Amino acid sequence: MEDNGDVTMTAEDDGQEEEEVTAQSVLLAIEEAWLNEKFAPEILPHRSDLVDCMLQQITHMEENMKRLDKEDLRLMIHRMELDRIKYVITNYLRARLEKIEKYTIHILSQEATRSSEECYLTVAELQFAKEFLANIEMLFKTIALQHMPGNFQTFEVDTLTVKPNLQAYVFLRANDRINGIIVPGSMDEEIDLEPGSQHIIQYSAVADLVKSGAVKLI
Amino acid sequence: MDPCEVEFLSEKELVSIVPNFSFDTIHLISGSVGPFRAGLPVKVPIWLAVNLKQQQKCRIINQDWMDADSLNEAKEEEKLSKLFTKMPSNHYMEEAQLLLNVASDDISDADRIKTAIKDIWDIRMSKLRTSIDAFLKSEGLHAKLDHLTAMEINSVRPLLPHALDQMLRIQTGGRATQSHYSGTSQ
Amino acid sequence: MACCQSYIPDYFAITDILSTEERISCKIEVELPGLGFLDSSSQSEDLTVGTKVELPLWLAEPLKSLQNSVVSVDVPKIYKEGYREILEADAEVIVLSKWNPFYYELGMHVRKLSDRDYEIISESLLQTFKSRFQLVMDWSQNATSDPTLSIQLPRLERDLFLSGQQAKIRLVEWLKMGTNELVVSEITTNLKKRKREQYEFD
Repeated sequence: MEDNGDVTMTAEDDGQEEEEVTAQSVLLAIEEAWLNEKFAPEILPHRSDLVDCMLQQITHMEENMKRLDKEDLRLMIHRMELDRIKYVITNYLRARLEKIEKYTIHILSQEATRSSEECYLTVAELQFAKEFLANIEMLFKTIALQHMPGNFQTFEVDTLTVKPNLQAYVFLRANDRINGIIVPGSMDEEIDLEPGSQHIIQYSAVADLVKSGAVKLI
Repeated sequence: MDPCEVEFLSEKELVSIVPNFSFDTIHLISGSVGPFRAGLPVKVPIWLAVNLKQQQKCRIINQDWMDADSLNEAKEEEKLSKLFTKMPSNHYMEEAQLLLNVASDDISDADRIKTAIKDIWDIRMSKLRTSIDAFLKSEGLHAKLDHLTAMEINSVRPLLPHALDQMLRIQTGGRATQSHYSGTSQ
Repeated sequence: MACCQSYIPDYFAITDILSTEERISCKIEVELPGLGFLDSSSQSEDLTVGTKVELPLWLAEPLKSLQNSVVSVDVPKIYKEGYREILEADAEVIVLSKWNPFYYELGMHVRKLSDRDYEIISESLLQTFKSRFQLVMDWSQNATSDPTLSIQLPRLERDLFLSGQQAKIRLVEWLKMGTNELVVSEITTNLKKRKREQYEFD
């Protein structure tokens, strides 16, 4: 089944070698995004570019697999790999949903300040967040607020806001060399990160580096 | 993270197998494997090796570092060293568990290897507990975790980061935790 | 959450709600007409200056923080010098949850209400936590430890203990998979299950 490796990533790709490298690197990037999302206290900028691309790969692969004989060794192997990839993607998306449910109000208010190019949520996630908040408000009103005296009936968005703890400690590994990270809470203490070195530090010190890909959470 | 997920990550590491079948290169999304020639060693990801082994389609060759004598040497070194020594793999524990479980018949000396790795793990875990306590008492704000492997790091989660979080709350009054990125908490 | 965050107080946090229910002794600084019922020991209708009342933290805090404080707060004795000295001497042997089940939480609130002792209470809480952490870690790493242990710890330590213990149990379970060759990892099992289902549907 030669065409299994032939999955087209983008219209411009032609050489088979190149495409394989691309599919592989997209997968690596998704795995990194998954772990970052799992360990970062705040929601990270979405990577629907990677997810959509990988879902296409999966669909394409599944199409190709239909042409294989049931006894074919490749069928079992491809299925196992697809199961592994699907696990990573669903776990990644689920981690984001958990944060959206927990920090709904905070995430929505932050998102409102971002332009469409810099937004952290996908269109679908944004819609989910808004509906989730509307449902919470409805629930609060129906169950409790409407039975309160008049001046206690408002749904107080500010009071109910839950924010992620950006000072939470995280484990990370540096991808690149990074100089002069200021250690939060210290008197201007600076540290340098060697590529491949591992550290534990407050998330706030490295949040931007996680987003830029200079470090990954582990 | 559940240890099973750390194991899942480790299953991407490569291991040599000797297949008892022949097959052309298989183009996986994560990269190509093969070609498989009966009797000739080939490197594949561990998840695939384990599965082929379970179907009795291959024999697993143990990793270079899975050698009882050199592991016992490493163990002595680990005992003597105050710091953590460098492990042959970031997933040594998971790889050992996976491969020795499924392929103990392929790996000579499996029991001695298992014991040596377990000893190294125990020494390192007790070292880890001591250094965590020292780190907390020193009121460090940052630590370098040289040579700690994936499962070892995961074993102190969530206890170590959460304890540090709570110390910070006690020091800063807890209100700062709701503020924006900054080191202004003190 | 799949990877849980550590506790910080927020609107929905049960620990925060429960810890602010704790009562502390307050002295009335301004005459409060008609609030005599707050002092169960007196029959008078009004609360007079100097009266001692026990108020829950959630009430004492805003009354104290008003520009003209309505009450002043007595630092509970467990945060005073005598008790701090006991902790300095031997923090690990104290059953801290008996002093108060929310020892740290309450302390973090009380220090803000005390006019002089913010620093010294903070330092005492921090040193106490640090000297007891080894104990919390050791207990949590001992997967077979006595289930009553957690009751001896105040909430902040107990949460750490329980999450540490949970992680330890999972790790031990994972390590045990090596002792029985028939047991395969959860993930492999799932993969196989799914694989079989797919074959059946084919």
